[in-house]
Amino acid sequence: MVKAMPSQVYDVIVIGTGAGGGMAIKTLCEAGLQVCALNAGRRLNPEKDFRNHRMPWEMKFRGFGDPARPSDNNPGFVDTEWGPNIWEREVTFTTAPGSTWMWPRCFAVGGKTNFWGRSSARFGDIDFRAASLDGYDVDWPLTYEEVAPYYSRVERMIGVSSSVQNRPSNPDGEYLPPFNFRCLDHILQKGAEKIGVPYLHDRIAQLTENHEGFPRCHFCGACTFGCDTGSFFSSSWRFVPKAEATKNLHLRTEAMAKNILVDENGMAKGVAYIDRQTKQEVEVYGRAVVVAASCVESARIMLNSKSRHWPNGIANSSGQLGRNLCDHLYGESARGYLPQLLGQPSFPDSVGDNTIVWMPRWQNLKNPREEKFIRGYSVYPGGGCAEYPWYATQAEGFGSAYKRDVKRRYPTPVSFTVQAPSLRSDSNFVDLDPEAKDHYGIPKVRIHFQWDENVLKMWEHSKEVCAEIIRKAGGVCEGSANEPLIPGWSLHETGTCRMGDDPKHAVTNGFGQTHDVQNLYVCDASVFLSCTDKTTTISIMAFTLRTCEHLIENFRREEHKRA
Amino acid sequence: MAGQDLQRREILRIMSMAAVASHFPGFAKWVFACAHEGSADGPTVKPAKYTPQFCTAQEYKLVERLAELIIPSDGTPGAREAGVAEFVDFMVAHEPERQYKFRTGMTWLNAHSERLLGHPFVELSEEQQASILEPLAYKAKHREGEEDGRAFFSTVKDLTAMGFYSSEIGYKELDNPALKFYQKSPECPHTDDPEHEHLPPPKW
Repeated sequence: MVKAMPSQVYDVIVIGTGAGGGMAIKTLCEAGLQVCALNAGRRLNPEKDFRNHRMPWEMKFRGFGDPARPSDNNPGFVDTEWGPNIWEREVTFTTAPGSTWMWPRCFAVGGKTNFWGRSSARFGDIDFRAASLDGYDVDWPLTYEEVAPYYSRVERMIGVSSSVQNRPSNPDGEYLPPFNFRCLDHILQKGAEKIGVPYLHDRIAQLTENHEGFPRCHFCGACTFGCDTGSFFSSSWRFVPKAEATKNLHLRTEAMAKNILVDENGMAKGVAYIDRQTKQEVEVYGRAVVVAASCVESARIMLNSKSRHWPNGIANSSGQLGRNLCDHLYGESARGYLPQLLGQPSFPDSVGDNTIVWMPRWQNLKNPREEKFIRGYSVYPGGGCAEYPWYATQAEGFGSAYKRDVKRRYPTPVSFTVQAPSLRSDSNFVDLDPEAKDHYGIPKVRIHFQWDENVLKMWEHSKEVCAEIIRKAGGVCEGSANEPLIPGWSLHETGTCRMGDDPKHAVTNGFGQTHDVQNLYVCDASVFLSCTDKTTTISIMAFTLRTCEHLIENFRREEHKRA
Repeated sequence: MAGQDLQRREILRIMSMAAVASHFPGFAKWVFACAHEGSADGPTVKPAKYTPQFCTAQEYKLVERLAELIIPSDGTPGAREAGVAEFVDFMVAHEPERQYKFRTGMTWLNAHSERLLGHPFVELSEEQQASILEPLAYKAKHREGEEDGRAFFSTVKDLTAMGFYSSEIGYKELDNPALKFYQKSPECPHTDDPEHEHLPPPKW
């Protein structure tokens, strides 16, 4: 039975509260619009749900997790003892034959921004105009000039620490002072210099100075378990409270969006969701709908929004909804150790995890066809003293020699993680599984995805370069991962609602507004044409800010009527 | 919330440890022993005696001995002080799939010791124990027919390392930087020597 709430019509319904949804509700509420936000999970409580400086010996299994409990039937499920389980178990997916996909998801309020990697580089014209440069695919329907002011505003809003680097391929922004280099960074930078590879401060949304009422980082190194002081950007710390302060927000948690409702003209009039506690279907109504459920989930909701007007899913007259799935190939390109640091005192190397430095794309910059692959990748170097001395599992022997060996090697390990974008192809996409339904009776999304030849060439290339950097730095390279990580792992999927000027080939226009349904907007990485060599989060926020101001303007011009 | 200072957090953390200790009595020994140095009004949890949950009393002595041999007390505390045998027993007790191999591994080691040196492992001298373990632990000394022993030793060693380096004693052994907070972004102290070619001699 469907429970409707006809008495209230909101100005905007926003699905999702992560980087995109959070920015959307904040922006729309501050503009005075009445917003209902649907969030598929619960609210987090930083007091209880984050690690909050608890040490492994305060945990039953020392943080290694209950050995009897397998890591869940959802591949990639991340379970820890560090806090209550916040990872999604009930909403699974299927993969088409030949496809693999690994996908830990957090549906709690704030989504993945609660635990994200914080790397926040701007896309540049080299990304937006990639097709013009190398002839593959099409350009984005906007330029760097158009987006740059929004990047600046987001950077000022959330606080990003980095340095000015004068590389148009990864444009500089407005930054707080950078994180300092560690010993291993100076050593590896020297090695990288010798073969002409940039080794620079990453752009990291983590505060080196107090900012907007939030204290600077205390460098505890547990960022991936959530921050108890809001010292790195997360939607749950920075956006949701601001939106709530306006009193214009109605946040519904445990609200699993199912489909978008349409009126007699096929325009969006609301959202049907399942209340996860009562399992009841509920409808909410609004004058506009923003989908920000993250790339694949947004596509699933839209594909599941079938009606007389939209037999193949809402706003899908182009047939492109769910298509063009891209992802970042992740993998350990090289690992080794720096003998210079053997036996040296420990150093707080992992204070920002591995996002203190990066090696931003250096390939195909002058000549887009210089390498054996097109486009390019970036690399995140890391290493040093980790919380757990992983060398203890490799070192031979036992006794005092072993104990000393582990201690001597503690500051020395180095590792390189590649971030390489897959190319758009017709064979990588998502659709609805015709048979399988999730816990709530909603069709499961089915993933069709394989790494393409181009991205695998980048992987091979990165292995050679990173090994060489370790050697040139005077280090010992001990190998690389045999295979890249399974697709999905980076959580940087893009493309399922790609933007473009031509309604025949794109789901949304350059403002993230669907071509077919003027009051339906998409605010996540699904609108991106590719995932580039950079991470997606800050771009999601910059694009969302731009989209929402366009939406607000449409209310002002009465293209959308206020509720 | 945002302004909540770390000191208060730290106090809450230490207070919560008393509760933790009472939930996992098997861990009380080192939770108590490690956590509250210099804390004048620390919690009053009494260290509980650990009762092995998987091993028999005799097997537990073997696990204790192996852990001590792997990470000895040699000037700095080792597996014994960190209560690592408790952790090993506890983890095996919670992983049914591992139990059969673990138990047969212990049996193998004792039978092997008796065959070569006439006594079960724990009754051997330290040198004799080392002579049994070395062929299991070092690739260059591997002997044919000892595959099961090597697999068992490797399991015990992994669990020992996990138990030791996740204890506060293990953190202190490495001077693990996660024991502290930092006022500002920690910076390499050798910026005048970027290649780190002129560092002071190794500390250990």
